[in-house]
Amino acid sequence: MGQFLQFAINGLMSGAIYALIAVGIVSVFKATKVVNFAHGYVIMVGAYFYYTFAVLIPGAEWAPNWLAAWQPGWLVEMREGLPMFSPMGAVLDWVQNLPRIALGLAGAVLANAALGLVIERTLMRPLMGQSVFAMIMITVGLISILAGAVQLVWTADADFVPHIAPNTPVRFDVGETTIFLFGADIVNMVVALLIFAAIVAMVRFTKSGVAIRATAEDQSTAYSMGISVPKVFSRAWMLAAATGAVAGAILATRNGISPSLGLFGFSVLAIVLMGGLDSYVGVLIAALAVGVLEAMTQWQLGGDWAEIVPYVAVLIVILIRPHGLFGQKEVERI
Amino acid sequence: MITGNLKASYAADEQVFDNRNKRAFLYAALLGLAALAGFADDYVILVACQMGILLIAVVGVNVVTGYTGLISLGHAAFVAVGAYTVTIFHEAFAGAIPEGLRALIAIPVAMAVSALVGIIVGLPSLRVKGLYLAVATLSANFIVIFLIEQEVFAPWTGGMVGIDTPAPDFLGWTLDTKREMFVLIAALGVLTLLAVQNLFRTRVGRAFIAIRDRDYSAEIMGISLLRTKLTSFAISAALCGLSGALFAYFYARILPEQFELALSLELVAAMIVGGMGRTMGPVFGVAVIVMVPEVIKSIFGVATGGEAGVAQLLAPLQEIAFGLLIVLFLLFEPLGLNHMADRALRALNRWPFAR
Repeated sequence: MGQFLQFAINGLMSGAIYALIAVGIVSVFKATKVVNFAHGYVIMVGAYFYYTFAVLIPGAEWAPNWLAAWQPGWLVEMREGLPMFSPMGAVLDWVQNLPRIALGLAGAVLANAALGLVIERTLMRPLMGQSVFAMIMITVGLISILAGAVQLVWTADADFVPHIAPNTPVRFDVGETTIFLFGADIVNMVVALLIFAAIVAMVRFTKSGVAIRATAEDQSTAYSMGISVPKVFSRAWMLAAATGAVAGAILATRNGISPSLGLFGFSVLAIVLMGGLDSYVGVLIAALAVGVLEAMTQWQLGGDWAEIVPYVAVLIVILIRPHGLFGQKEVERI
Repeated sequence: MITGNLKASYAADEQVFDNRNKRAFLYAALLGLAALAGFADDYVILVACQMGILLIAVVGVNVVTGYTGLISLGHAAFVAVGAYTVTIFHEAFAGAIPEGLRALIAIPVAMAVSALVGIIVGLPSLRVKGLYLAVATLSANFIVIFLIEQEVFAPWTGGMVGIDTPAPDFLGWTLDTKREMFVLIAALGVLTLLAVQNLFRTRVGRAFIAIRDRDYSAEIMGISLLRTKLTSFAISAALCGLSGALFAYFYARILPEQFELALSLELVAAMIVGGMGRTMGPVFGVAVIVMVPEVIKSIFGVATGGEAGVAQLLAPLQEIAFGLLIVLFLLFEPLGLNHMADRALRALNRWPFAR
């Protein structure tokens, strides 16, 4: 039972990150009716931006010292006499990294939003009104372009980036077993869920959110009501890329940074289809469910079986409910 | 409009190659292939063999995506099934079937097994289409490769590290050089193209096209969607299986990672670049998809003088070029190279009059 709980919590934590990745795919789909196969690679680029702003720039010679390691007097004082691997030490390590983490996140979000804008303007806008196939295949082509560009700019070597939260171990007892978690994972989950909630709220309540929903409902009516549909498109892409940057940063702290981060996009794509392409609630539920299922598979069958869980799950769901768990059935005119 | 293509009998009207130019092209192409097999140097033969193997698989993808309109991003799985079936077949019947007959039986068996897997993978196509089918086939690709890599099947598939493949032997003729393999690959490639060209003059083939154009209308016209879609998947998977069989015979060793998503995307990319739903489309597409990385490699080699430090930039450049090919063709010539060739030929045909 205790082990079950441990794996369930682990699963929920990775499920939350899947949800954060998925929100980018859903937002773009809602506004533009394009399913972004390359979202995983947009995320990977975001992770590399985080790496650039949080590791490479602070490490450069011309960067000020406090950027790489912030050491005000009180911090040095507090560190003295602390035992190795104490929770306090982990928090202080994090405080010391704070400037570069902040720079990394801000830089990654801005740079990735710019990337989203460029993709929308150069590749997606010329294809407005074209077939689904052309749209899908354009994003498939984008996969190769982004993967190649990343290897060209940053080389394919793997590296590590600072955690975005103090990585203190957290222990607590449930019944007779001890649950063991990492602080950074918990914060990652909270950040992911907060961003998810913020986006859902934005789409629901703000003016630009209403514009997105109106465009999703009917493009030409939205046009005639004075909504600038192209602007909605570029906003949706920027939003997806910006959330993708945060997701990329989180993934990079968990798995290290490497070009294979892009592969997450495919399993998340499966999750999105499972939940229903245009339903935020469905996608959240599917993401958490797949996260838990993966953790359970890892526990029972071993780590490598976990990687095909999303694909098997999506096949089963699609066969039973072709439009996902909460997706709207498409009405097709003959 | 085609002019001067007059027929005096029904038999002439029913020919696959219904005018002089097409027949001339066929004979010229056959002559060209024979010359290639006879006189080309080893490097050209190697590239041509890669093209031929890829061509057969792209023709398969073209059947299901180009003609039937079912998007598939998982056809590499069928190539894998074909390649592994041949290898396992040779292993399993090492004593039971004489050496000279084994390849002759193994290739049809590989095609049959691939077709069977194709029918299973094609099942979701009855309920979903478009994007959903693309993700379903992509998932199938991941699952098939995952199963091949499993330790449980390692005695047969070799697991992650791959497995050595046999050299084919047709009634005592062992194809142990690349040049001999080229003869086989070229012959099967031409046969495949002819078969597919013919397929779309039959009832089944026309049903495929009807489904692509409008599936509901096709159903109302009395076409069984169940049977036709699955037939389409089976035929295309069988062709991919044939391609996989040749792949296994051509290379000394096969690895599961050769059949991952990258290959599926390459197949679809070749189809888009060449022209979807056209017989010659895959030929153009494969030529471009195989040649572009080679051209980049040689230009890169000349430009950098073969320095080791910059050599690692080659693979990313090739990857970017591959992506750009897909994107640029979709943006500027969605009908593919075949359409460009059509326009050029038409202009030539009407010269000196208006294009």
